[in-house]
This record gives sequence, structure tokens and C-alpha cells, in this order.
Amino acid sequence: MKNTLLSLNEATRTVNSGSNKVTLLDNINLNVEVGEFISLMGPSGSGKSTLLNCIGMLDHFTDGGYTFLGEPVHSMKEKNRSKLYKEYIGFVFQAYHLIDELTVYENIETPLLYKSVKSSERKAMVADMLDRFNIVGKKDLFPIQLSGGQQQLVGIARALIGKPKLILADEPTGNLNSKQSEEIMELFAQLNKEGVTIIQATHSESNAAYGSRIINLLDGKIV
Amino acid sequence: MIKNYFKIAWRNLMKHKVFSLINIIGLTIGLSASFVIGLMVYYDATFDDFHKDGDRIYRVVTDLISPEDTFSISGVTLALEDEIKDDSNFETVGSFYIERPSKVENRELGSQFKWPNFVIFTDANYFKIFNYTFLAGDETNILSHPNSVILTENRAADYFPNTVPSDIIGKTLVYNDSLNVTVTGIVENFKERTDFVFEEFIAKPLLLQTRLRENFLNLNWNNTNDASQLFVKVASNADVSAIQNRLDNLAAAHQDEDSKKYGDEQKFGLQPLSDIHFNEKYGIYDWTKGQANKSLLTNLALVAVFLLLLGCINFINLNTAQASQRAKEIGIRKTLGSSRKQLISQFMGETFLLVLISALLSVLLSKWLINVFSDFVPDGLNFELFKSPLIVVSAIVLLIIVTFLSGFYPALILSKFNTVSVLKNHLAVGDKKVKLRKFLTIFQFTIAQIFIIATLLVGKQINFLLTTDMGFKTDAIISVYSPRGEREVSKKELYAEKLRAIPEIKEISIGGTPPASISTNSTSLSYNNGEKEVNTDLQFIFGDINYSKVFELDILAGRSIRNDTVKELVINETCRKKLGFKSPEEAVGKIVLLGGENVPIVGVMADFFQRSLKSNIKPMAFRGDWNRPDWSQFQGLHLALQNESSEGLKTTLSKIENAYKSVYTEIDDYRVEFLDESIQNFYNRERKMSKLLNWATGLSILISCLGLLGLVIYTTNRRVKEIGVRKVLGASLFQINTILCKEFLILVAIAFVIAAPIAWYGINNWLQDFAYKTSIGFWVFLVSGLAMIFFALIVISVKTLQAANANPVDSLRSE
Repeated sequence: MKNTLLSLNEATRTVNSGSNKVTLLDNINLNVEVGEFISLMGPSGSGKSTLLNCIGMLDHFTDGGYTFLGEPVHSMKEKNRSKLYKEYIGFVFQAYHLIDELTVYENIETPLLYKSVKSSERKAMVADMLDRFNIVGKKDLFPIQLSGGQQQLVGIARALIGKPKLILADEPTGNLNSKQSEEIMELFAQLNKEGVTIIQATHSESNAAYGSRIINLLDGKIV
Repeated sequence: MIKNYFKIAWRNLMKHKVFSLINIIGLTIGLSASFVIGLMVYYDATFDDFHKDGDRIYRVVTDLISPEDTFSISGVTLALEDEIKDDSNFETVGSFYIERPSKVENRELGSQFKWPNFVIFTDANYFKIFNYTFLAGDETNILSHPNSVILTENRAADYFPNTVPSDIIGKTLVYNDSLNVTVTGIVENFKERTDFVFEEFIAKPLLLQTRLRENFLNLNWNNTNDASQLFVKVASNADVSAIQNRLDNLAAAHQDEDSKKYGDEQKFGLQPLSDIHFNEKYGIYDWTKGQANKSLLTNLALVAVFLLLLGCINFINLNTAQASQRAKEIGIRKTLGSSRKQLISQFMGETFLLVLISALLSVLLSKWLINVFSDFVPDGLNFELFKSPLIVVSAIVLLIIVTFLSGFYPALILSKFNTVSVLKNHLAVGDKKVKLRKFLTIFQFTIAQIFIIATLLVGKQINFLLTTDMGFKTDAIISVYSPRGEREVSKKELYAEKLRAIPEIKEISIGGTPPASISTNSTSLSYNNGEKEVNTDLQFIFGDINYSKVFELDILAGRSIRNDTVKELVINETCRKKLGFKSPEEAVGKIVLLGGENVPIVGVMADFFQRSLKSNIKPMAFRGDWNRPDWSQFQGLHLALQNESSEGLKTTLSKIENAYKSVYTEIDDYRVEFLDESIQNFYNRERKMSKLLNWATGLSILISCLGLLGLVIYTTNRRVKEIGVRKVLGASLFQINTILCKEFLILVAIAFVIAAPIAWYGINNWLQDFAYKTSIGFWVFLVSGLAMIFFALIVISVKTLQAANANPVDSLRSE
């Protein structure tokens, strides 16, 4: 029996644009088991990013139920929700979104600061991560001094440092060339094998193929 | 975490150097002003706060209230002490009398000291109220022996150099040539800040062997003198209102018939010890030291607050304007698990870092500022005060307040961003806050504008004060005063004789004070014109027959006095009108009643200003020195010079001084005053205020313009593309500059509209202090408004011209 990581029950997201009500996500039903690698596909504007953001609790569904590890997220207070995603979710972005003013080392360390991890422990964890991604030599550089692929490596390292159960990746290779993107996808596959659940949004068929399940979105609906 | 915040804060400061610099300059100016002014307040507020039970110590003071005026005297009549000393409301009643001996000799060493300062005649009660530490001598029987004196450490070092205190006890000093007095105690000088500067405490009974003997034998309720001081320490359960009642009753009981007739009253009051340093009405003992002025301190504090506010506003404006640049970092931090609270504390940390840098700079600056503002800063104030714990704590509290004031709002704004839209670059942050920034900018410029208008108008008034014709000659007149305490005229005449030999001197007069001075001498005068009696207070100027020539007084009718001692009056126009004479001619020859004597009016002189232009012209008369030889009103010589320019002035002055030394061979008390300088000194406070305003104006313009510059840089950078497009479409440099400047100039203009009435109201209020005032001219407002716009335009154009000049290809290609 597999464990359910999260489940969406008729989850809907609408926004008001002027006087029009626009439905971004329309009655999504989705179960994600622990250890899955899901690829979200669909054209621009189909709702991939919105769905990722909502699952990642940066945004919220306007209707329907969202359960994460058995807890009802939709009826949770902001504070608890933030605790939940701090603990279990890591983000990887298309534009990397590293903090320009911080070095590689400091960027990776930041999530630990917010989790109030002790200094000595932090050092060990960041050192491990740098080691694992082969970027020890770059730890004192600033993001602007790195190539795109390297920046995304740092981004992934940062997402992983908190030992999340779920990684949400929004077009992680969108700004990379094919060689770099292959490396990144290999990395995801490797992580998935180690037990991390991954949901990625992508345009690329070949990237999507790394996933264990492909979900196609169109106009906010699963098709 | 904290370390991480400060690291980021530091990197952000370095990344936006211009903005950081603007913020730091603004805050540094505000903080420096606050530090220096805070030090001043602390310095003045801690005078005499160390006395045991200081809150129960009061000085008894006197107000002489007449229908026209109130005179305040820090002393009381000698008769009062005996009446109240048995009152159980008082724990101790102690009096002392300030009197400078003419000479003190230490015959053992053969040394002598003339006119030593800060000598009081007192008794053991004084030492019960004020606790001195005895270095030597009997502490239990203080001044119990009639011929004894206690010296402070400092004074003892003068009289008995290189002698240890215990050896000085029992030695003899000779006062005024004949009084042998034994030293019975040496006390420590007060180490803390104090206005009790006395150095020499002589047993009271010795007063009976001085010129003051009569005053002490015949206690007179109508004789009050600043020298006769009375202090009380009230009992801890005392009823202060009952004491006041008692004093009021005593004053009423001893009011004499004349006072009742003229409506004069004497009122005793209790002045708290803590008030002495602040209340200029009653004064302090050492006139050379400044007293604290509450209104000046308040004004200074207001200036500091405004400068600090301007700095904070710059911070708020620049940080909210820059918000979009920080937005990405904020969004990322939120996805990494930062709570809003954590973000707010991060931004507050950054603000604090900036404030801290400014504070450190300010501490350094303060050292320099204390020198620049030496006019305001009390002499004893120095940088060391920064070490006192209260100052340190207040400074830290101030830093925290400033941090919150400037950092809290931007932190709220920044931390509020929606993560998703920030990361998608959908953000139009900052735009919503434009209104607030405009409001704050208007506020800044309103303050700057008010300062400009006030500076111009105060300057105008001071110029008016200094250039208005006083009504008598004020240029090239020198007054040389005779030694203090000289009672006869013979030496002055001898001196005048010697001065006549100096060709540079045109006229010489022996007399009292010049026509305009800060001291007054007045008596009541009555005149009966056959129908009714007119009473008035009459002020006097005293002089010989040359007095009116030296000062070029304008005699309208009749003549000046015939000789130095004849009982004749030359009244001024105001007095003439008050007495009801229709013309100057009518007044001449009339007899008035003056202190029980009939005195004829022999002339009428034109009105002139007797004091500063703050007060109205009062009834005044010029008269001779007719109380001679018992008492002479002549205090010195007034000399009119031939040459009105300062050419050769130095040699003339040295001739005058040499002549003085040849007459007064024994006494070294040469005092010379220039009349025009003395008149300028009437307006010291105004001139100080003007200097203060100049600084406040300069600094507030600087801070506001820096803030404006920051906003302009920000806005212009955002409009680079628009500028490029307009240029491609054919706009000229001037057109583009106009578009860019307009937005900001409107703010400055609105600020002017708000500032003008406020400044007008404030200045109008201030001018009420003056009996004679300049007009508040329309042009002043016009000029100050234009000046402000001019400054703003320069600042704006620095950036906009650069932007307008840029090659549009560069700005458009990047998109």
C-alpha cells in the first residue's frame, strides 16, 4: 500500500480580472503518492504554474479541498501552513531565483536559517550539499558569477537542503541549453530514486519522459 | 541569522551607494543636532541636582509689583529672616550676604588680593542646607566665632599657596585693612555642576564692621537687595501653600503708606533650587556664566526634531521608492520559508545598521559642532559628557526610535508583497505609494520653506533693530567706567582733565549710564496742574552739562541743566505728554514733585530709545548729580571721538587707557565700552536665534534636496525608456527636462503654499516681543519661494539633464 502525499479534491482557483471572473484551475482532482515523479504538461496559460504554486502553498485554491500528509491545508491558518511548507516542500524555479546579494554558500544556507537550525549543524549540512553537487570551489561566488546551469544547481541544492518530501519545479530547465538541462533532469531522476517526490511543470516532451506519470492540463482542467 | 541580516544589509548599502549616502547624510545631520542639543539639555538640567534633599530647598525671592511694572529681585529684605526662622514648616532657614571685600591680606606672606569675588557672609545654617565636605577644621561649630572664615580648597590655594589644609586652620587673614579674621575651615569645592560658586564664607557678625552696618542695625522692610539671599529647607511634611500664605501676610503687614497710595506691592516667593539655573528673572551668582534659557532650549530641541524628521522622511521615501528592486529577494525569502515577521526584522536590522553608522558619524561630528555652536553651548559643556550613563542610554533609545520611525513603514510595505506575483515580475510595487511619497516630500519642503522665510524675516527685523536711529548719537562714543565702589567725583574730574589733552577726543562728559542701557533708575513723580494730580514713574539719566553734547540729545524747548548739581530736570516728550502739557514750551518752567522735593522743568528733549526696541519709550528725565556728596550717580566718562572711522582708534584707545592708569594707580578695574557695541548686545538673543535659523535653514534645504535628488534619480531611471521614445519622436532637451521637472516642482510649489501662512503666523507672533518692528514684506515670501524653487530646480536638473542627454539607442536597445 502506497502512502498518499497529497490529494486535491475538486480544487478550483479563480481570479477577478476587472468585472470578469476568470477560472485558472477548474475542479482539479489529483492524488500524489510518496515517491512519484509527476510531469505537468500543457500550453502556456493552461494553469501549470498556478497549480504548482497552489500545491506549494504560495498561492491558495479558492474552492475545493487540499490535503497534505493528511492535514487539511484549505482550512489551515497561515502560520501552520507556512510551517508545513517550510518543513516538507522545496522549490526550484525557471529563473533560478537566487538572492543576488548572497554567495552560493549563503544562498544554500538561508532555508536552514528560517528553520532555526543550529550553526554547527548548518555548516555540516551545507558542506555536504556543496560536496554532493561538486560546487565546493564556487561556494564564495555570487550568483551573477555563475553560468545558468550552475545557478540552477545551486537552486536545487537550496531546495534540497531542508530535506523536503516534495520538490516543486516550475520549468527548471527552461533557461538552460540542452546539455545542461539533461544534467539537471538526470539529477531529478536520481533524487526521485532516493525517495523524493517531484512535481515538475514542463513544455518539453523529453523532460516529461523522466517522470513516472504525465498529467496534461488545458484551460485549467486535467485532460 | 542576525549575522546574515547584517551581511545582507551591508551589501545592500554598498550596492546602492548614492541612496545610502543620502540616507546617512540626512540621518547624521538629524542625529548630530539631537546629540548636541541633548547634551545641552542634560548639562543644564543637571545643575545642582546633587544636593541632599534638593527638592526641599528653596530660595526666597522678591517681586516688586507696581501698577506699571514688576521688578524681580533674587534677594529679600534683611528683615524677613527673623520673622520666619521659627516657623515649624522650615527645617532650616539660612541666609547669606554677598559682599566683596576691597582687600584681603595674608600678612605672613605679604600677599594681598583686591576685590576677591564670590565672598559671602553667612552662618552655620548655610552649611546645614548645602553640604560641603570639610577637608580641615571643626565641622560641629561652623562659623561660631565672630571673627572666622571658611575657605574653599581653591581659594585657600590662592591665599596660602602650597600649604596643606590642616596647616591653614588658625591662620589669620586681614580684610579691608583692619579686620583680623581666623581661618577655621577648609571645604572642598563642589565637584558637580553648580551655580553655588562661593569660595569664601565669613562669619556674619563681621558685616557689622563693614559699610553695611547701618542696614543690619536698622532692618527696613522696604529695602531689598540682590545681595541679601535667603534659603530655606522646608520640612518634609511642610505645607508649601501655607508657607506662601504666611509670606503674603508678612508682605501685606509691612506695606508702608506710600506703597499703598501708589499701588506698589512686595511679594515674596519660593523659588525651587532646580529653577535657579533656568530662571533669568532672578539670575545666578556668577554673571559671567550663562544661565539656561528654557525657550532657547525648546527652540533648539524643535530644530533637532525637525532635522531628524527630515532625515527619517528621506529614508522612508527612498526605501519605498526602491522597493521593487528588493521585491525579488523578498519573494525568494518567502518561498524559502521566511515569515513576514522575520522579513520585517530583517529590514529593521538594515535600518538599524544605517542609523548606527549615522550615529557613529554624529558622535564625531558633535565634537566639531560643539565648537561651531559655542554661542549656544554652555562653556562647561564638553565631549566627556557623552560618557555619562544617562546620555548613553538616551542615545540608544533615540537610535531605536529613529530606526522605528524610518524603518517600520518601509518594512511593512516590503514584507507585504505577494510572493507569486513578485517572482513572476508582475509587480508594480511602489506606484501605489506614490501619493504617500509626494505627501512626505511636500512635508519636507514645507519645513525647509518655513525656515527660509523665518530666516529672511528675522534677519530683516535684526537689521531694522540695528539700523534704526536711536534718537541720539551712538557712533564713535566710548564709555570708560570708574572703578566699582568709587563714590566721589574728584578722581573722575581729574581723569577728564587728563583726557582733554588728547586731541582725538571731541567732547567729554562725566555721567551715569549712556542714554540707552540695560540698567534703569526710576522714581515716581507727581505734578499738580491745579485741577488734578498726575502721577508717573520717571526714569533718569544722569550727567554733567556736557552730557547732552556728547550724545547730541535734541533739546526741543528750554535749555539743558545749568551745572552738575543743580536741581533741574530736562524731561522727554513722552513725559511731557504724560503730564498733560500741550507743547514743549508749555512744560518749561513748571514745577514737579519728585521724592518730596519741588524740582523745576528747565527743558524738554526729543524722545529716544532708552533700551532696546523691544520696549516702548517711557517717561524719562535728564538730571544732574544733585545728591552729592552723600551719593553720586556718576559712574564714568563718556567720550565722543573726533574721528568717526576706526582709523587710528587703537592709538586713541591706548592713550585713554594710559590716562586712566595715571589717575587710578592702585586699582586695576579698567572697563571700557563702545556704545554701538552695547546697543548690539541688546539683541544678543536675536542674533543667536538668527544664527540658529541660518543653520537650520541650510541643513533642512540640504536634507530635503538630497531626498528630492534620490526620488528624481529613481523616477528618472524608471522613465528612461519613455525619454528614449520621446527623443526618437523629436522632443528637444528642454522639452524633456520640462516634463521631468514639472512633477517635482509642483510639490515644491504646494509646499510653499502651505508654508507661507505658517511662517507668517510664527514670525508675526515673534515680532510681538518688539515694540518697534519691521513690516512683513510680500517680497520676502516671493524671494524665499523663488529661492526654494531655484534650489529644487538645480537638484532636479542634475539628474534629468543627464537622462535627457542620454543616447536613446542605449535605453531602447536593452528592452
